[in-house]
Amino acid sequence: MGQFIVRRTLYAIATLFILSLTIFLVVRLTGDPVTLLAEPGAQEEDLAVIRKDWGLDRPLPVQYAAFVKNVLTGELGQSFNYEMPVSTLYFQRLPNSLELALAATLISFLIGIPTGIISAVRVNSVWDHVGKTVALLGLSVPGFWLGLVMILIFSVWLGWLPTSGQGGWRNLIMPAVALGWYFAASLLRLTRSSMLEVLRSEYIKLARLKGLPAFAVIAVHAFKNALIPVLTLAGINLVIMLNAAVIIEVIFAWPGIGRLLYEGIFQRDFPLVQGIVMEAGVMIVVINLLVDILYAYIDPRIRLTR
Amino acid sequence: MQPDDGHSNRMALGRRSVLTGAASLAGLAAGVPGVSAAPQGKLTLAWHTNIAARWLDPQQHDGTASPDNFLMALHDGLIKNFRDQLYDHAALAERFEFAEDARSATFWLRPGTKFHDGSPVTPADVKWSYEHYRGAWGEVLREQTKAVEVVDDKTVRFQFKDPFLDFPILLGTANVCGAGWVVPAKYHQQVGSAGFLQKPIGAGPYRLVSQEPGVKLEFEAFADYYRPVGIKQLTMVSIPEAATRVAMLERGEADIIYFVPGELIDRVKNNPKLRLAPVVSGNWWLEFPGFQNPSSPFHDKRVRQAISLAVDRDAINNAECGGMGVVDGNWINNDVEYGMEWPKWPHDIAKARQLMAEAGFPNGFSVDWVTPTPNYYSRGERIVSQLQAIGIKSKLQVMERGVFLKRLQGGLKEWPGVQILFSATRIGGTWSNWYDSHFKCGGFNAKDFFCVKALDDMFEKYLASYDRNERKQLAEQIQRTMLEEYYFVPVFRHAFVNAIGPRVAANNWRDVFPTITTGYCYPWEDIRLV
Repeated sequence: MGQFIVRRTLYAIATLFILSLTIFLVVRLTGDPVTLLAEPGAQEEDLAVIRKDWGLDRPLPVQYAAFVKNVLTGELGQSFNYEMPVSTLYFQRLPNSLELALAATLISFLIGIPTGIISAVRVNSVWDHVGKTVALLGLSVPGFWLGLVMILIFSVWLGWLPTSGQGGWRNLIMPAVALGWYFAASLLRLTRSSMLEVLRSEYIKLARLKGLPAFAVIAVHAFKNALIPVLTLAGINLVIMLNAAVIIEVIFAWPGIGRLLYEGIFQRDFPLVQGIVMEAGVMIVVINLLVDILYAYIDPRIRLTR
Repeated sequence: MQPDDGHSNRMALGRRSVLTGAASLAGLAAGVPGVSAAPQGKLTLAWHTNIAARWLDPQQHDGTASPDNFLMALHDGLIKNFRDQLYDHAALAERFEFAEDARSATFWLRPGTKFHDGSPVTPADVKWSYEHYRGAWGEVLREQTKAVEVVDDKTVRFQFKDPFLDFPILLGTANVCGAGWVVPAKYHQQVGSAGFLQKPIGAGPYRLVSQEPGVKLEFEAFADYYRPVGIKQLTMVSIPEAATRVAMLERGEADIIYFVPGELIDRVKNNPKLRLAPVVSGNWWLEFPGFQNPSSPFHDKRVRQAISLAVDRDAINNAECGGMGVVDGNWINNDVEYGMEWPKWPHDIAKARQLMAEAGFPNGFSVDWVTPTPNYYSRGERIVSQLQAIGIKSKLQVMERGVFLKRLQGGLKEWPGVQILFSATRIGGTWSNWYDSHFKCGGFNAKDFFCVKALDDMFEKYLASYDRNERKQLAEQIQRTMLEEYYFVPVFRHAFVNAIGPRVAANNWRDVFPTITTGYCYPWEDIRLV
């Protein structure tokens, strides 16, 4: 078990190294941030001063080393645009994104799991077709379109909900639905397929043969086992919703991390973009690592085969 | 610079030839008649992009049009653009004198003016703000300035090494330069640049109460401002999505919104409670990098003229701005010093085809790329489509804004082959800023694109001249030559379309957008609620 943990941890570190190098290089491929930091009439000397001020005149390996050092110390550097530490900005926005992501996760659970179960239990019935249609729509209707349509209906026409911004629970409904919609569809599909697999297993047949009520077979025996991959996906979904709800946060003017990422890209604020991507990467890698370790702990076959 | 922000009104520039710039005392008397001095109510502005922190500090003015929306609420300048005054409205200075020989300028501060922390605005603050200014045009000002002298407790004098005719324009144009905007020197030094961005203190009509960086600014009327302030609470919230901004206006969540794109104009227009504010803004024109090269098809003036004749400017204006832009003839706005009026260009496909044939292109030719200023890509598509009428086959090139700017600044090597740029800008102050940046050989956005020596020589003469009449003649001669030779092909001045909700007191949209040098709705203190 110890060897397995060490191996997986080394994989995680290697993944983060590759991620850090990739994001460091990719943001620089998009162009020179100095052209946006300088005034339009700036001369080459002015650009050189700005480049020096922000350390952009140093060789790339030196810049990368400084970036890694910042990441390791948890600093993530200084935002060009806000002249504030990236970590401060990130943690200012994190509670807002967490609020939205948790609400969207709840909505994706409420829609995805019951519908997935019903689809699996009533496979090839009308309910299953309804479920599959919901899944298809969830995966194919873009969140931004859904968001705008909801604003039009619920804010403008009906006047029930505020259009945007952060405030009370009413402000949360539309962005949470628009964000959770896609993830509800993916949960629905996974719940359905996972339930179908479990429902075909021998122990479920045995439970039925024992004369257990259908509800008990589904809720107690089948659902509990089908839930494991669903919860794993939900965990990853939560991290994605937390860090990458860019479009939804922009449409609903929600002051979260996705919006911060958009601002960073818009302003070519390298440290901000790098910092957010690294934070998201660390979250995903750490969650995956924990899940792997947990799986290995629960099922010894995993640590033997991997 | 993005062409988003601008104004609609045309003006007579004659009044600008003020040699002794004794500004009017209109500031004190400029309150809105018939309204109470006690501020009341709350107004929300939905801003159309992110809110950059640096816009809260005039010391970091980036030379674009965006910061002045915020500066005008939070800060104040010695003199400024205000309603129909281009640059010389007496603000923190109750009056100023610009010497006949243009070698000095003296400002007398308005008595009793304070910063938001209660400290007085002093000549020492003016001197510090000017000398430490590090934003757009800072280098030019430093090179030209010999000394800033605190004469007494209300007087400050700027002395220049040579006659500096553009000084008042630079100092007083909020969307060009921030050096004349006064910050509290001691506080700025105490908290530093980054600290100032978090808690800026100014001398403007509104003090900042709180901010969510990049997202929202909450202001409150400054009781000690020298003019009456109409509204007690002012909120500026960043809403990048246009449909959301319009929905906010429809629901009354916002009272004023900036930038309604073409596809949403009718929705606002058809709502009787709302009012469009189509502020005519920056100019759009076609340019042909490398036309000086004899191998370029654009080397022949007849080809450039044919392109001008082939462009249906009214159609572009109608489609892109609901017809609310202005189809004029110059590529330089007429609201800057020496910016010329020029008649509308004709649209005549038959004559264009004839000119193409005479130039040796009866069947047209291929253009590698037509590249519009990002992110107005649909405008480029219209040009691509219209040029097909005279046989010019081209493709649209879409670029992210930062990449576009970077490639512009790289010169011709970044634009190989046959290229057309559909450029746009909105620069305040004086016509020479436009020429210097966009046409002059080596200019920041022109580099080696054009290099017409005769015009550049004339421009050098213009810069060296201290004779205002001569400068005006040279400015007009250069502009006339550029237009008559079709070096640039002006297309239209687009409308920066804003909208106003029912709670804002206004007989027409110009009551809310009275300042002719901007697309924004300042002076903020003059806005009232019904």
